[in-house]
Amino acid sequence: MHVSKLSSLSLSLSLSLSATEASDVEFLGLSLVAKRFETSHVLGALLASSPLLAQAWSHCTHANASNSSFVVEHHDDTVYVAFSGTQTSALSSSVAGGELFGPVPISTGGGQELFAPLVGGKGDDAQPVLVQAAALRLFLSLYNSSEFRLLVSETGSRSVVLTGHSMGGCVASLVALHFLCSSAGSGSPSPASLLCITFGSPLLGDDALSRAVLRERWSGRFCHVVAQHDIMPRLLLCPLNSMPPRLVTSVTDLMQSWHFAVRYPGFSRPSFRLSDDQRTELHRFVGVHVAAAEQQQKSPYRPFGNHALCSAEGAACIDDPLIVVKLLHLTFMADPGSSSIEEQHISYGDLVAEISQNVLSKKRIRIEEEPTRSSGYSAGVSMALEASGIRIQDMGAAEARECLETRMWRRPNMNCASLAIKLAKVTPCRAQIEWYKTLCDDDMGYYDCFKHRKAAKRDAKVNMNRIKLGHFWDGLLAKLQDNELPHDFHRRSKWVNAAQFYKLLVEPLDIAEYYRCKLHETRGHYLPHGRARRYEVFDRWWNEGEEEVREAATWKKKKRSKFAGLTQDSCFWAKVEEARECVKRARAEKNPAKLAKLWDSVSGFEGFANRLIERKEVSVDVMAPRSSYSLWVEEVKELKLKRASSVLVGVER
Amino acid sequence: MLCEDGRMALIPLCCSLSMAAHLSPSSPFLRHDNSAPSAAVFAFRASWSADDWLLAGAGSPFGEREIDAALFPSIKSVGNDTTAAVNGAFLRSFKKVLDTSRLQAEVHAAVAGKKQIVFTGHSSGGSIAVLAAIWFLEQRLNFEGRGGQVDPFCVTFGSPLVGDGVFVHALQRENWARCFLHFVTAADIIPRCLLAPLSSSKDELEAILRFLCPKPLLFSPNTVMSAPVTFYRNVLGHALSVSNHQACLLMGCTNPLLEVLTGFVKLTPYRPLGAYVLCSRDGRLLCLRNSNSILHMLFYLFQDVPGADVEEVAHGSLEAHRLYEAMTGDHLNAQNIVSVDSSDSIPLSFTNGFDDKAQPVKTLWKDLDLSLEARLCLRAAAEWEKQRLRNQAKIDDNYSKIKEALNFLGDYRATCEVRGLGYYDTFKLQKDVEDFNANVKRLELAGLWDEIVEMLSRYELPDGFEGRQEWVKLGTQYRWLVEPLDIANYYRHSKNEDTGPYMVKGRPRRYRYTQRWLEHAERSPAGSCTESCFWASVEELCIDTGDGKPFLEVRSRVVELEREVLRWVTKGSLGRDVFVSESTFARWWVTLPRQHRAESCIARFVNGEDMLETMEASI
Repeated sequence: MHVSKLSSLSLSLSLSLSATEASDVEFLGLSLVAKRFETSHVLGALLASSPLLAQAWSHCTHANASNSSFVVEHHDDTVYVAFSGTQTSALSSSVAGGELFGPVPISTGGGQELFAPLVGGKGDDAQPVLVQAAALRLFLSLYNSSEFRLLVSETGSRSVVLTGHSMGGCVASLVALHFLCSSAGSGSPSPASLLCITFGSPLLGDDALSRAVLRERWSGRFCHVVAQHDIMPRLLLCPLNSMPPRLVTSVTDLMQSWHFAVRYPGFSRPSFRLSDDQRTELHRFVGVHVAAAEQQQKSPYRPFGNHALCSAEGAACIDDPLIVVKLLHLTFMADPGSSSIEEQHISYGDLVAEISQNVLSKKRIRIEEEPTRSSGYSAGVSMALEASGIRIQDMGAAEARECLETRMWRRPNMNCASLAIKLAKVTPCRAQIEWYKTLCDDDMGYYDCFKHRKAAKRDAKVNMNRIKLGHFWDGLLAKLQDNELPHDFHRRSKWVNAAQFYKLLVEPLDIAEYYRCKLHETRGHYLPHGRARRYEVFDRWWNEGEEEVREAATWKKKKRSKFAGLTQDSCFWAKVEEARECVKRARAEKNPAKLAKLWDSVSGFEGFANRLIERKEVSVDVMAPRSSYSLWVEEVKELKLKRASSVLVGVER
Repeated sequence: MLCEDGRMALIPLCCSLSMAAHLSPSSPFLRHDNSAPSAAVFAFRASWSADDWLLAGAGSPFGEREIDAALFPSIKSVGNDTTAAVNGAFLRSFKKVLDTSRLQAEVHAAVAGKKQIVFTGHSSGGSIAVLAAIWFLEQRLNFEGRGGQVDPFCVTFGSPLVGDGVFVHALQRENWARCFLHFVTAADIIPRCLLAPLSSSKDELEAILRFLCPKPLLFSPNTVMSAPVTFYRNVLGHALSVSNHQACLLMGCTNPLLEVLTGFVKLTPYRPLGAYVLCSRDGRLLCLRNSNSILHMLFYLFQDVPGADVEEVAHGSLEAHRLYEAMTGDHLNAQNIVSVDSSDSIPLSFTNGFDDKAQPVKTLWKDLDLSLEARLCLRAAAEWEKQRLRNQAKIDDNYSKIKEALNFLGDYRATCEVRGLGYYDTFKLQKDVEDFNANVKRLELAGLWDEIVEMLSRYELPDGFEGRQEWVKLGTQYRWLVEPLDIANYYRHSKNEDTGPYMVKGRPRRYRYTQRWLEHAERSPAGSCTESCFWASVEELCIDTGDGKPFLEVRSRVVELEREVLRWVTKGSLGRDVFVSESTFARWWVTLPRQHRAESCIARFVNGEDMLETMEASI
């Protein structure tokens, strides 16, 4: 398959420019007039019409009432794992201290390996991921228990729903993150398919987590169900440290009553009531701070994944963290009289039943009273708002509508099509670089030509092309990260191949530029410090595709009979540069221990390069007479001679 | 369409025959010949055993399985090479009828009598009728006389769904979907029951079928059916799920949660086929043809009315299955049927202004009393169809561009022949600027065709696209002219050493698709039109014999290739420039053992004896 790759990659040289522009405009025109629909409530209705929520909730109640930290149940071919939210009774006592709800780096206490891709912190994303201390502690104690092995073996390569109520949901999310992280790398068995459903859980992580989940394209794996007036999922957007003591008491009392209610569901109890003053105060406190949270980030916490914002009318599933914050506020403020703060957090069962009943039966829609909205999109937005609990007459309705309507307009297939046209536009840039490479092949290779900039005009043109291509691919990745492209985009062979070809051809130029500007002297070498993220992403795409090919391959790889068109390791030149530095340092190095180390890395690279060359996986430019690599080979030879003679001299002495 | 050739007049007859068929113990179908209009009506009886509805051990909760390619060769997605899935139990029942009854003979006789052929049935009998009609459509080319040219007509009453999306796609492509008409009432649960995964509630299904079974067929006294509330809830919930899921797709939902949920929610593969006449609760008749719209309406007409008693509704959903004769009675008349899915103007608000022109439409929709959700879904479905047409228009714009590029390459090919090395080898050498330009054209064309293939693989073009003659022809022309260049490029860069032989891993989808188009259009077996891959076989044989494999080992492949070459050259799908003495093929061929060459069926071509004849012929 990676052939059709290489042949289908160069493809879209097509489309003359004028035609291209015309169709671009046409695309835009089309998309503006027609076919724009709001789908958050439709997705919510899909969720509500399926048995998923009801199943998950019933397992949550079992887990909450049980003594163990989780329960596992099989239902059809799906494994439900529900995590108990009642394992920390200490939780409620220290709300105000901010200690339990305080954020700590996810790597605390051994999390480093458990969440490897999240901790990574490479390049610009160096900011560490922070999560709730209490949830992490619960997760770690679970992880280190013997039960966890059982959990791993029960869930390995199956469809798994991880769920939990309140704090149980936070633990479920961490377990889900851990499974996702460990399946991203290879290693322990992980679920074949995974969905995490939480009910009324407090926020778990910070902005970095939220971005990481988007970047890894995991936001579809998390569905946080939030009732309209449940304070728990909103509480961590408020600065708990500045909570007035009277409120702390109210919240603590509330939490204790909830804890008791879900831990001993059969036990009849007097229902706990806040006084009217307390309730109003709490409502105001949460309302004010959640409202503020969208502008000034006092709380470190941010939503991640999907939030299903529920009212009795339905649910709206939203995966954009900023809109979620805004709607967490607006839904909370709307229709305050309808239900009680005391009960909402523990009544998800009733809510789920009510929603699924409501989506099945025919509604008299209030939106019909509103004459001005005639486009399908506005009507859809009204329905999404209604599903989340905001009705037209509510005070936040206009604001919420604006927020949904001005949301970035994502049209994956349209975007994909217009990207294909853009790719066709930048392909000539690539063709020129290819041409340039062929020109340089016999002399010093395009890497060194470009690095030395002998022919100023020609090289400048190539540099321009290099930059244009970089822009194109960065733009593409940005779109991908914002979910503006089809979800399987990174598996479509056209794009995987185009990206791979681009990487093999252009990354050497990036490396040349890096060393030409001597950035390695200030920042360190290219590989650990200078490599653009796009290349790492493309590596991943390519390798994922390779795995599939390898699985399906019946054909065995033979040795190449001639050199590859492009060096198959796009970082080859960066390794050459490092090796050259080693040689340089080896010349001057007097300390034998350090010298031996340098020789190790020199011969390490030598072996690597020889293997590549022997398998003919390098392009001819590597062996060009005056290329950096050829120079390096000479240098090593010389150095070896010198070393041998010095050894000889030593022996003679 | 409904009024066309007096079909409407046949409907009451079909309905009563369908009901009567249930009571015919001897034959699985009834035949009735109508005089005016002249028609032979075949009515199939339903089965009242759950085993005939849901195949045990089908491995899927919905009981679908791949359709028989031998019996239904057209029912697939051509380019994508995906076979349709149908309900396995219905397929089995139909095959049994076909093998064990007089159906074939009687249909043949009716065709010979130049009668309009009509297939009909109530309940699962209708599903059998659908398969019979498709069988007839597939077979009719083989029927003698001109009777086979007339489209059959298939009308069903309260029948469950038969096939999946590919099934519907294939019937649309062949333009056969217009032969199908289904009547479904708002309350009837049976046409909807396969929207739910029934494998886990087969006992309930059995009980329900037993209840619905016409009385004279029951030996034991009729059991009193307890209200099937769970069954009803199950079907209703799944009907909504599949409608919502489809709506998300058509509305362009980008939330990745959608994909994840698809893995956890069991969604039916079945899709409605052809036209549906839906009877709303207040007796209005709606006609829909858009499969997606029908899927939505199956739910929205069925959904709960607030305040109604669930037990009563569930019970009513069974009773409704018996009431088709009333629905299709005398008052059935084309003017009463309102076509709803083709209208662009599904209003979302009824109070909006008083635009006189829009008012009648609005009144109609208001009377239909559909919820806003339903209307948005219908809009999205209609919009999706429009989008597919727009995509097609865009592709059609490229037609002349492709044609032009092909002419360019045609000229290039002619110059290659003059240059004496043959088309393939000249291009493979890439010596001159003409060769470079040809390569650029190849890439341009690849871009244009890949776009088409990409759209087809996501069903973003109208279903009929792959059946359009002009495109099949252009695709074939493209494949014959340009695929050799792709192969040349592949072996020039030794890509076979990266990934293996061209035919195994290297062949781009654009050639696989266009090859299948031609094979489908000519009704020839899969893999029979590989002439454009000639050079790939040659290159692989060159490599194998070059590696020193003994001739005996490759002999059968060589002979096979030679036989094909003879066929292609005679047919004109392979140019004679392949025999030019300097071409890869000729140079390889002369290395073959002398004796083999002497006996070879293409010896005269390679030795140039034939060239004179051709030249003379061309003069």
